[in-house]
Amino acid sequence: MESHNQLTSYLQHSFECCLLVSFCFCVLLLFISLRRSALLLSFPLSICFLDLLTHSACVRSIMNADNRKGELADLKTQLRQLAGSRAAGVEDVKRELYKKVISYMTIGIDVSGLFSEMVMCSATSDLVLKKMCYLYVGSYAKVHPDLALLTINFLQKDCRDDDPMIRGLALRSLCSLRVKNLVEYLVGPLRTGLKDNNGYVRTVAAMGVLKLYHIAPSACTDNDFPATLKGLLIHDPDAQVVANCLSALQEIYTLEAASSEAALKERELLFGRPVIYALLNRIKEFTEWAQCLVLDVVSKYVPADPNESFDIMNVLEDRLQHANSAVVLATIKVFLQLTISMADVHQQVYERIKAPLLTLISSGSSEQSYAVLSHLHLLVMRAPMLFSSDYKHFYCRYSDPSYVKKLKIEMLTAVANESNMYEIVTELSEYAANVDVAITREAIRAVGRIALQLYDVNAIVDRLLQFLEMEKDYVTAETLVLVKDLLRKYPQWSHDCIAVVGNVSSNTVQEPKAKSALIWMLGEYSHDMLDAPYVLEGFVEGWAEEDSAEVRLELLSAVSKLFFKRPPESQKILGAALAAGIADAHQDVHDRALFYYRLLQQGVEVAECVINPPKQAVSVFADTQSSEIKDRIFDEFNSLSVVYREPSFMFLDKEHRGAYDYSEDPAAVSLVSAPADLVLPSQSLEANDNDLLLSASEKEESRGTASNGSYVPDFLTYESSSAPRSPSPPLQVVANRNSSIGSAPVARATTAGRTSQAVSALGIDDLLGLNLTFSPGGPSLSLKLNSKPALDPATFQRKWGQLPIALTMDHSFFGQPLAALSGPQPLLRHMQENLIHCMASGGQVPQFKFFFFAQKVESPPGTGFFLVECLLNTSTASANVKIKADDTSVASKFGDIFRSALTSFSLA
Amino acid sequence: MLQCIFILSDSGEVMLEKQWMGKRVDRSICTWFWTQARSSNYDEHSVPSVLASPTYYLMNIVRDGITFLACTESEMPPLLGIEFLCRVADVLADYLGGINEDLIKDNFVIVYEVLDEMMDGGFPSTTEPNVLKELIAPPNLVSRVLSVVTGASSSLNNTLPLAMGSKVPWRGDGIKHSNNEIYFDLVEEMDAVLNRDGFLIKGEVYGEIHANCRLSGMPEVSLSFSNPAILNDISFHPCVRYKVWESNRVLSFLPPDGAFKLTSYRVKGLKSTPVYVRPQLTFSEGICHVNVMLGIRNDPGKPVDSIVVQLPWPSTITSVDLTANHGTVTQNHGTKVSTWSVGRIPRDKSPCLTGTLKLQPGLTKLPHYPTLLVGFKIMGATLSGLKVDKMDLQGESYRPHKGFRAVTRAGNYEIRT
Repeated sequence: MESHNQLTSYLQHSFECCLLVSFCFCVLLLFISLRRSALLLSFPLSICFLDLLTHSACVRSIMNADNRKGELADLKTQLRQLAGSRAAGVEDVKRELYKKVISYMTIGIDVSGLFSEMVMCSATSDLVLKKMCYLYVGSYAKVHPDLALLTINFLQKDCRDDDPMIRGLALRSLCSLRVKNLVEYLVGPLRTGLKDNNGYVRTVAAMGVLKLYHIAPSACTDNDFPATLKGLLIHDPDAQVVANCLSALQEIYTLEAASSEAALKERELLFGRPVIYALLNRIKEFTEWAQCLVLDVVSKYVPADPNESFDIMNVLEDRLQHANSAVVLATIKVFLQLTISMADVHQQVYERIKAPLLTLISSGSSEQSYAVLSHLHLLVMRAPMLFSSDYKHFYCRYSDPSYVKKLKIEMLTAVANESNMYEIVTELSEYAANVDVAITREAIRAVGRIALQLYDVNAIVDRLLQFLEMEKDYVTAETLVLVKDLLRKYPQWSHDCIAVVGNVSSNTVQEPKAKSALIWMLGEYSHDMLDAPYVLEGFVEGWAEEDSAEVRLELLSAVSKLFFKRPPESQKILGAALAAGIADAHQDVHDRALFYYRLLQQGVEVAECVINPPKQAVSVFADTQSSEIKDRIFDEFNSLSVVYREPSFMFLDKEHRGAYDYSEDPAAVSLVSAPADLVLPSQSLEANDNDLLLSASEKEESRGTASNGSYVPDFLTYESSSAPRSPSPPLQVVANRNSSIGSAPVARATTAGRTSQAVSALGIDDLLGLNLTFSPGGPSLSLKLNSKPALDPATFQRKWGQLPIALTMDHSFFGQPLAALSGPQPLLRHMQENLIHCMASGGQVPQFKFFFFAQKVESPPGTGFFLVECLLNTSTASANVKIKADDTSVASKFGDIFRSALTSFSLA
Repeated sequence: MLQCIFILSDSGEVMLEKQWMGKRVDRSICTWFWTQARSSNYDEHSVPSVLASPTYYLMNIVRDGITFLACTESEMPPLLGIEFLCRVADVLADYLGGINEDLIKDNFVIVYEVLDEMMDGGFPSTTEPNVLKELIAPPNLVSRVLSVVTGASSSLNNTLPLAMGSKVPWRGDGIKHSNNEIYFDLVEEMDAVLNRDGFLIKGEVYGEIHANCRLSGMPEVSLSFSNPAILNDISFHPCVRYKVWESNRVLSFLPPDGAFKLTSYRVKGLKSTPVYVRPQLTFSEGICHVNVMLGIRNDPGKPVDSIVVQLPWPSTITSVDLTANHGTVTQNHGTKVSTWSVGRIPRDKSPCLTGTLKLQPGLTKLPHYPTLLVGFKIMGATLSGLKVDKMDLQGESYRPHKGFRAVTRAGNYEIRT
């Protein structure tokens, strides 16, 4: 009765729908649905209409909520009716219904409400139905853990089916349920699955063990599954089973190793000689993907002697000819790792891998060639000579996507040398006329980079200057920036360049960077450019419209330089510029204008000494990426790091925070009494990475804060940007004058690298009459520490959690004792002598972590504490220090004490 | 390892998702990806194939407008992911007879089944199309008709593939054919870049040897070339014995049953091109005069067929008026691409395309010069000159039918103006 009511209401509903949509549309849809499946013809009208409607919903993804609810309710009823039915043809009806449910699921509609009905209908011998059912159950079991129990029965039954395929499929679905409280039902089928006489089932079972481990690690290890897998790993005749065992074991042991010694040993055994040899001997039986896995494991193996390395390479050599690029890359990684300490063989390996890599970049799809090119880029950076004769492979194709073109242009820059330079620059000039503006820019920059890299730049300068004649705004802009850099390195080209730059109409230059470059050249070479004063005057007149502070800053300097060279013509311009600058709302611009103004008050010669001293040509521009980072990426060959050009910790870090985070929580580090064992090598490496990242960013930060709102650092950065590595003479003079007072105490507290900077900064401060007071006795005079502070770990932890970071420091030292530090104890004793006490310490060479605390003398109990987190890296001889203080006003003083204590330890 | 794969339509709609790990990846990542793809500085559908989102690391490939997007949370070899996605796309195209939105939506059950077999636990398992087809029958017209007539289920074979459990992963035991035959296709593609003076800047040939093998039992096939030295870099199907190739330059293999790609190779340093194309563009008063000459430069010995020249003009032209003395010229007004279909070059005259382009008012010349793309086909000849010497069969007593074909196509054959 109820179903009858529903049917009528449904028909009514669909009737309304039909009224709504136009008749034509309805016919069209009907036609589609009929064509789609002739089967439907034999169905009752209602199902036909249902299909019509759902189909239109699928196609257009438009379906209002009421309608959908109706659909689902209807599906539910139909499934329920079919559940017990054994009539002929019922399977087909079921199949259509299942298909509909899955299609809803596919387009993202939640059909979990049908769970029990779907399960009730799942008793079938039809494989496709089974597969759809497995798919459905796998997707929603997690949402309905209680109902998932219903599926166990039929899945377990299928696990005992005669057909190995059904056994395998059922086992896979069973393992994919991922419901914790059903684990007990999983163990039995898994155990029989691992012993199944069919390889397919064992393959599935091996992977199932890993899935079980992810749901319930203890259930997996308690049942000795890893041991069973180990047996299969060596003895199973089916290579795919071996491969799955390998990947499962690798993951299980790696995760287990974090908490158990035994697992760590097992993991080492897994990468040990017997296993490696067993795998290598049957490498050809594996599928290409399993080969990747095996090769990855082999790359972690350290052979006993060179002969062993050669044996392994001989076995693997033909893998370089594999059609699958993943296999080729994995093989290359093995080769590179095996020969890393044999320099000459390493070179031979480069020669050997060159051809396959070059084939991969040109023959595969653009997506593949992008990933391969990223790896090739890494190799090219290490051995540019190797690829210098194959530069034509890096020529861009018209059909290459932009991201591939960009990478190829970088490669061309990297492989350019004296012999191929001319052709490469010619090719790059072709790209300068490209449709894609981004590529055009890259190409021009590449030409500039090549010019800066190589000595023989005659031809390149001509090319660059030709770009200026193309009369395209963005080309001109890029070129101007490059010409500026070029002139800084090769001032001898100034005459040629200036002649062309002088022709550039200043109106066509809009981009701030290009504008600054043009203004810089106008100022620098104003004596050679007749109309420089007039052009600059034009810029000064447009001061108010100029949005970019960078340009206004550059304008101030350029106008001053102009003034020193051609005073009569430019006095008025300078006056206008300084007036505009001092009135400027931007702090830096204002400061620089005021600074110039005051310098000029001291006398024109003095000002010229500071603003426009004779410059040396720049020999090397600062490299953007340190070689350390590059080496690190190289170690991670054949990984995402290479594509992102960042070591994996840089981007994987946040994922692993949960597992590895002990930088914020002191409790995670072992207390002094139980040192170091908690932190395992893998973690300490991770922490090490953390630290590297941290220190880099914090250096940035401290630099940033230093330049806030004072003339001096701003001035320094400015000069260093126009002439790095050649401190201007007046600064040195001033610095020397002050060094008798300044350098001694500062040098004691800081290291050599910082000294010169600190001294020169001090010198200028003094020059400006800022009256810096500097007590020769060091800062420790004003802050005394309690010799016996009392702080229990719980309070420390609480305080650490509550207080903000008052101070962070990066510190590097050169001393022996620190580099040789093998345990935390010596440092602890030393710090204690300096009245800084240790709360907790941990880590292993080269990465240590300490929590220190100290208390200000004569402060009431429970206050005046300083809490310190100190990350020490002995290999890089650096420390990263975070200080928190009850009384933040003296935090910096405490910081000085802490630093000097660390320094004295490293010098002890 | 890969956690999931999403298949997105060309409008960014998620058509299908398949999760392999316990931790489900939310669909919202696709929205992130799609905005990224849309807002990229690059041209449309051109985001780098490997991307880092705030939550996952994404790998994607685009085939016929359909995006295959895979997510992972951990470090992994990027090529493993991309190579796998390519394989998924290839297998699906093979199964469905192409890749497009309708085909995928109509056959989503098959797609699920295929994906389920291709990867387990985040690691690729069976990707060999021949083996997959034994696991899951492709949807073809015959089986669909059959299922309608008999009502029997058909999209799944009831026996496990033969190759599974066989000692040789790519070939099963007990294969029998009534006609024993094996055919080889040498397919070469020529990549060339020529500058406006007709000077060859870069030229290479990429070749593949496809085999279609229908041989019974366990045949040992060996294939030798008369000039193997020209092959610059060669990669093989897993069945080829590398050691034999290293020592004798002979391809020795136990072939899989059915069609497969035996080798691919590269021949570099080509000095000559079969076809020359001379474009000339001159400008006067906002009009661009076009003149393109075309002809045979080095006769490859066989006729050069299906010559097509594509001229992608910049968007700043307002109208195109081109005529040819041979072949047909068509104009796509949306994409501003003129296509000149020449076909075969006639004996009596040299084909020539002439005409004018009208530029947007104010322009005196084109903002950038177009790159002409040339297509051609040469049946029966390899441009690299690679020749098959002989093919022998051992291990079985029958004498198979054998056949060889060669075809050369223009790959990326571009002419700069």
